[in-house]
Amino acid sequence: MLALYFRLIGARVRAQLQYRASFWLQLVSFGLVSGLEFAVIAILVGRFGGVGGWSVAETALLYGLTSLAFSFAEMVGRGFDAPFERLIQQGGFDGVLSRPLGSFFQILTSDFQLRRLGRSAQALLVLGYAFAQLEIAWTPDRLLLVPLTVASGATIYLALVVIGATLCFWTVRTPEVINVFTFGGEQLTSYPLSIYQEWLRTFFLFIVPVGFANYPAGLYLLGRADPHGLPAWLAWCAPLAALAFLALALRFWAFGVSKYTSTGS
Amino acid sequence: MGLYLAVAIRAFRRATAYRAAYLAGIITNAFFGALVCFVYQALYAAGGSVAGLSLRDAVSYTWATQSLISIGAGWVTSTEISSSIATGDVVADLYRPWSFYLYWLSRSLGERTFNLLFRGSLTYLIGVLYFGARVPGPAELLAFAPAIALAMLISFSFSFMVNLSAFWLLDATGAILMANVLLSFFSGFLLPLAFFPPALQAVARALPFQAITALPAQIFLGQTRGPAVAAALAVQLFWAAALAALALAVQAAAMRKVVVQGG
Repeated sequence: MLALYFRLIGARVRAQLQYRASFWLQLVSFGLVSGLEFAVIAILVGRFGGVGGWSVAETALLYGLTSLAFSFAEMVGRGFDAPFERLIQQGGFDGVLSRPLGSFFQILTSDFQLRRLGRSAQALLVLGYAFAQLEIAWTPDRLLLVPLTVASGATIYLALVVIGATLCFWTVRTPEVINVFTFGGEQLTSYPLSIYQEWLRTFFLFIVPVGFANYPAGLYLLGRADPHGLPAWLAWCAPLAALAFLALALRFWAFGVSKYTSTGS
Repeated sequence: MGLYLAVAIRAFRRATAYRAAYLAGIITNAFFGALVCFVYQALYAAGGSVAGLSLRDAVSYTWATQSLISIGAGWVTSTEISSSIATGDVVADLYRPWSFYLYWLSRSLGERTFNLLFRGSLTYLIGVLYFGARVPGPAELLAFAPAIALAMLISFSFSFMVNLSAFWLLDATGAILMANVLLSFFSGFLLPLAFFPPALQAVARALPFQAITALPAQIFLGQTRGPAVAAALAVQLFWAAALAALALAVQAAAMRKVVVQGG
């Protein structure tokens, strides 16, 4: 299955690299678009001298972690975004169901957007800036926590993209709703979770766990305590939250597929 | 003239057909509006005002700009023209005995008038009800009417030119992405121009994008008042004329390009 995945994705990547100029233009554009996101955060937080007790560099750490995770999810999960919506609208999903492979796997391998590396590069730059500015005590556990958190965050974002796509089975056309989950989650976690009201904090940690993409890890790396009393060990629960949420998203996907009625076109 | 009015009225009516999509759009805009407001509430924890804006000013501005998304305040919302260029369908529109620019302008104005009256006003209402966004008085509304009309003209001419780049690039995706970077930042959509560092503020004031979003939003909220309103309208009028002229020039160049291709 894994070999097949890389074979199909390899074909998509080779196809995208055929249009070299267009590929690089879009890669740079995605880098700029996401660079703008951080520029807005830096201007705002700088102008007010901090947000919820977090400085610009500390906010950069949060932004870098969540944006890097999001870029990976966008890259891997592109098949569930606009191409999937087109597939549903034009009735192409009928064809997917008739093939001897799981529908989830087929949609996952239907696209892979290498140009989203533009966002990854930008996120890495911001993360590098944060690491350079902040005095983090790099113990082995902290070193391990960074990749673990990014992988968990990417899994959570991917699950959100799948949930957004599943809604398409009922609504046929909902690109904006997908944005609420993904871009909304990314924007929300670009600031420390502690600034939001209690119901929002609970919701984005324990129901839609996108908060795990950066906030508990950010506290752990900086050796800070959460003003609302979240325990430090919560940072290590990110992979658990991510896997549980992905499992939920897959169940929802299977349910959506079972309720699928073709547009008939 | 009657022809273009008919096109605009049809576009307005067509817009009324997609009610579920508009409802989803309003919820989305309101969700992001609320997110930005939560951040402002934290930023303003110490109270007072920053760069001349109080928390209520910043919150009201957020809702005003979110409400103007569907008239093009944040990014290029229509890619119909560039798709028709990519598929070649544009040829049928070019045959017709009317101005290509005025035809699409009428369509855009018809659709956006609907968006403003229903989608925009409902989004702003959510801001008023749940976040205490300011309700404008009659004087502000009176000044807002010409300001938003000019903003729609400027926004259309800009979006028209970006779409027309497809005549040269075939795929306008990259151009639209770049246009959105410029528009969303320098228009004051992502954050009020007052928060910009001085150098960036000077750049924003010299570009046409503020005339699409920041100027009408500030007039709507009474943040621009008195003689400053006339000055803002004059700036808008200048950009409306300049960008319309530029859009027509780009169109003329594109037409020559079509002839070269033998289309």
